[in-house]
Amino acid sequence: MPATSSPILSVQDMTIEFGVGDFAVRAVDGLSFDLQANKTLAIVGESGSGKSISSLALLGLLKNIGGRVTTGRMAFQSALLGDTVDLAQASEQELRQIRGNEIAMIFQEPMTSLNPVFTIGAQMVETLVLHQKLSKKEARAKALEFLDLVRLPNAKRLLDSYPHQLSGGMRQRVMIAMAICCEPKILIADEPTTALDVTIQAQILHIIRDLQAELGTAVIFISHDMGVVSEMADDVLVMKASKFVESGTVKEVLGAPKADYTKALLAAVPRIGSMTGTQAPKLFDIPGVTVASTSGKAINEVIDVNVAPVLEIEDLTTRYDIRGGLFNKVTHRVHAAEKVSFKIYPGETLALVGESGSGKSTVGKTIQQLVEPVSGAMRYHGRDIFSLPAEERKVFQKQTQYVFQDPYGSMNPRKTVGESLVEPAWVHGLVKTKTQARDLAADLLTKVDLPAEYAGRYPHQFSGGQRQRVCIARALACNPSLVIADEAVSALDVSVQAQVVNLMMKLQADHNLSYLFITHDMAVVERVSHRVAVMYLGQIVELGTRQQIFENPQHPYTKRLLAAVPVLDPGHRPNRPPLEGEIPSATRAVGDEPEIVTFRQVSEGHFVGT
Amino acid sequence: MPILRFILQRGFQAILVTVAVTLFVAFAIRLTGDPAIILAGDSSGVTEDDLVRIREALGLNDPFLVQYFDFIKSLVTFDFGDSFFRGSIKDLISIALPSTLLLATASMVVSIVLSIPLGIYSALHKGGISDQIIRVLSLVGLSFPNFWLGIMLVLLLSITFPIFPASGFSSWSSLALPATTIGIILTATNVRLVRTQMLETLSAQYVMVARAKGLGEWSVVYKHALRNAAISIVTFLGLQFGNLIGGLVIIELVFNWPGMGTLSIEAISQRDYPLLQATVSILAIMIVAVNLAVDLVYGLIDPRIRVT
Repeated sequence: MPATSSPILSVQDMTIEFGVGDFAVRAVDGLSFDLQANKTLAIVGESGSGKSISSLALLGLLKNIGGRVTTGRMAFQSALLGDTVDLAQASEQELRQIRGNEIAMIFQEPMTSLNPVFTIGAQMVETLVLHQKLSKKEARAKALEFLDLVRLPNAKRLLDSYPHQLSGGMRQRVMIAMAICCEPKILIADEPTTALDVTIQAQILHIIRDLQAELGTAVIFISHDMGVVSEMADDVLVMKASKFVESGTVKEVLGAPKADYTKALLAAVPRIGSMTGTQAPKLFDIPGVTVASTSGKAINEVIDVNVAPVLEIEDLTTRYDIRGGLFNKVTHRVHAAEKVSFKIYPGETLALVGESGSGKSTVGKTIQQLVEPVSGAMRYHGRDIFSLPAEERKVFQKQTQYVFQDPYGSMNPRKTVGESLVEPAWVHGLVKTKTQARDLAADLLTKVDLPAEYAGRYPHQFSGGQRQRVCIARALACNPSLVIADEAVSALDVSVQAQVVNLMMKLQADHNLSYLFITHDMAVVERVSHRVAVMYLGQIVELGTRQQIFENPQHPYTKRLLAAVPVLDPGHRPNRPPLEGEIPSATRAVGDEPEIVTFRQVSEGHFVGT
Repeated sequence: MPILRFILQRGFQAILVTVAVTLFVAFAIRLTGDPAIILAGDSSGVTEDDLVRIREALGLNDPFLVQYFDFIKSLVTFDFGDSFFRGSIKDLISIALPSTLLLATASMVVSIVLSIPLGIYSALHKGGISDQIIRVLSLVGLSFPNFWLGIMLVLLLSITFPIFPASGFSSWSSLALPATTIGIILTATNVRLVRTQMLETLSAQYVMVARAKGLGEWSVVYKHALRNAAISIVTFLGLQFGNLIGGLVIIELVFNWPGMGTLSIEAISQRDYPLLQATVSILAIMIVAVNLAVDLVYGLIDPRIRVT
C-alpha cells in the first residue's frame, strides 16, 4: 500500500534491551515500521521474537518489566499534545496522557487483565474520568454505551458486576470496551484471542473489525496465529528472535513470502481444508527435515477396525458435585461427561474435539482414572477396568499414559530429566537397577530425537518444544498401548508444534500406538487423526472418520466449529455470522438431567446426534 | 441475601466450636484433681465430712453435664461466681480482658503502621539497598526472643533514660513499652508478608493494564495493587490478632501487665479452677470471635467470596 498520508506512527530502528552492562540482552534489534491510520498492521512471530515487548515499548511500559529502549525513534502524531511526539523520549507525564487515551492496549489473558476487586463499571469509569474529565455519572453513561458497542448483553447489570462473574469471552469484550472508550487513535491488541475458544475468537475478531470500521482506529495486531492474521491484517510484519524478517501487505507476505523463515513458518501452519480428499493423516512438510522411521513407514495410514479395540468406552458418565447452602448439600452438578461411548483401535488416533467446558478433558482424566466416573464401562482389550480390584487397575494405568498441555508444569523442576523419565518405570517395576534406568532414559530420549546426554539436565534447561518431547518420552517409558494427549501441542509455537506432531505420528507408526488426541484445534486434528469425535456440553454430538467430519459435517455444532476456524487465505475476509451470546453451561441443578443425544448413522461409521 | 446466609453459616460454626472448646476445658480441668482437697489445703483436722461439705458448696457433687450447663449459664450471663481465693471472677476479668485487648490492639497498630509502608516501599524498590536493609532488619527482628527485646527496651527507655514506666498499667504511657516490643516483633513477620503480597500483585496482569490505561503510579500501587494484596494481608493480620489475645502471656509477665495471660498463669499456680476455667473459656471464645470477624471481613473485601 502506498503511503499517501503520513503514518500515524513511525518506528525507526528501535532497539530494546533488558538488564545492564555485560548482562544486557537485546529483546528487539533495530525494528522499523510505519502504521497508517485506519489500517491494521499485524506483527507476527513465535515466542521470544520480541513482538509483545515492542508493543509495551510504544506505551512506555518497558521500565516496569526491567527493559528500556536504547536507540531509535517512535514518532507518534499526537492530537492531544498537538505535535509529533517521540514516544522513546517522552516524559512519564506525557506518556500517561497518551496511554489509554490515544494509544490503548488489549492484553492476551482476559482472565487476569481485569482487577478482581473492582466492578467492571468502576474500572471503565476510572479511565474515562482520568482522560476525558467526565463526572462519575457521565462516565458511567459512556461506559454503558461502549459495553453496548462490543455487544455485551445486559450491559447495565454488567457495570456492577465483578470480573469473576464473567466468562473469558465476555471479559475480553469488556477489555476491548475499556480500551476503546476514549476512542484511541491506535489500538494495540496483543494476542487478544489466543486464550479463547474458536467460536468466541471469531466473535471477538468480528467486533474488533467492526469497531475499526466505525471509529477509524489504527490497529497493531500481535499474533502467532497465521489464520487470524490473514483475516485481520492489511499489512504484516514478521519478526524472528528479536529481529525484523520481512514486511509488506498481507497478500505479499502470506501469499508470496520472500524470506526463508516466513516460508518455513507458513509451511508449518496447519490449514484447515488442506487435506480434502485424502484419507490418511499426513505429516507436516518441514523444509530441510525428512522423517526417518525404523519400520520403513512414516505413518499409520489405514486402521484395521475388524480387530478388537484397544479401549472401549461405553456410556461413560462423569459429574462434579457443587455444594452450597447452610448444610453444604449438593445443589448443582457439572455434567462433564454424559453417556460417552467410543472405541479406539490399535495404532489409531481418535481426536476428541470441543471447546472449553465440553468435557473432553474429563473423558481423558476418567480413562486415566484421575477422576471417578458416576457410571459406565471401560474395557481395555476386552477387560472391564472398573470391575477390577485396585491392584489390577494399576496394570491398566501403566498401559495408558497421559501427556499434558503444559510441559512446564508437568515436570518436577528439581529432578533431572533422566530421573523424571524413568520414574513411571520404577513405579511400575519395569526397571530394577540404576544401570537399567540409565539405559532406559537414554533410549527414550533417542526415541524422541533428543541426545541421550540430555538425561542429566534439568527441565529449565530445555525449550518448550524439547520439554514436550521429554513428556512424550516419559509417556513411552512403560511401553503403553494408549497415550492420552490432552492439548499436548496447543501451547507450542507452530514450527515446534509441527515437529512434535510429526514425532507423535512417527512414534505411532513405529510402536503401533493408539492416541486419544484431546484438543480444540481443528486444523491440527485434520492432520493427525484417523477418526474424530466432536463433544459439546458433555456429550459426543458427532463421530466419524476424519474425512467424514471435515468434508461432510452434519451436526450444527460441528459446522459452527469448523466455520469459526480462521482460514489462511490472504485478502479473504470472512463473512460468517458472528455467534451471539455464550455457550450454555454444563452445570445443572440436581434433578435437572440433560437430554441424552441419540444417534443416527449417516454413512458407514459416521454417527450424528439428533 | 448471600451475606446474611454467610454470617448465619459462620455464626453457626462459631457456636459449635465454642461449645466444643468449653466442654473440653470443663472436662479436662476436672481430671487434674479434686478441688476440695486443694481448697482444704494442708490444714490439719479436715475430716471427710468437711470435704463433702466443700464439694457440696462448690456444686461438685452434681453430674458433669449439670455442672457444665451451670458453667455455660455463668458464661452467657457474665456471672462467673467467685474464685477460690480472689473474690468475684467477674471483677477480675472486667479488668484483665480490656487490658489484654488494649495491649493487643496497640501492638497491632504499631505493627501495621510500621510494616505496611515499609513492605510497600521494599516491594517497589525490590533488590535496592533500602530493600536489602529492610529485609536484614526483619530477619534480625525474627531472631529476637520477644521477652529479651522487652527487657532491652526497659533497660534503655525506663532505666537509662527514664521516659516510660517499666511495668504495670498505671497510665497510658505504660502501654508504650509492651506495645512497642510486640509491635516490633510482629513487624518483622508482617513486613515480609506485605512485601511478598505486593510483589505478587504488582506483577499481575491487571496492574500492567492499569498502567496501560494511563493511571498515575500512586493509583496503580495504592488502589489497584494494594487493594488486592490487602485480601491476604488483612486475613493474616486478623488471625495474628486472634493469636495475640491468647499469646501475650510472656510479655504480660515481663511487663507485669494485668491482663488475661497474667490472670491465667496466677490461676494455674494457685490451682484456682473456677478462675482458670473462666479465663481459658473467654480466651477461646475471643479467638473464635476474631476468626469469625476475619471471615466476615474477608468476604467484604474479596468480591469473589461475597458475590457468586
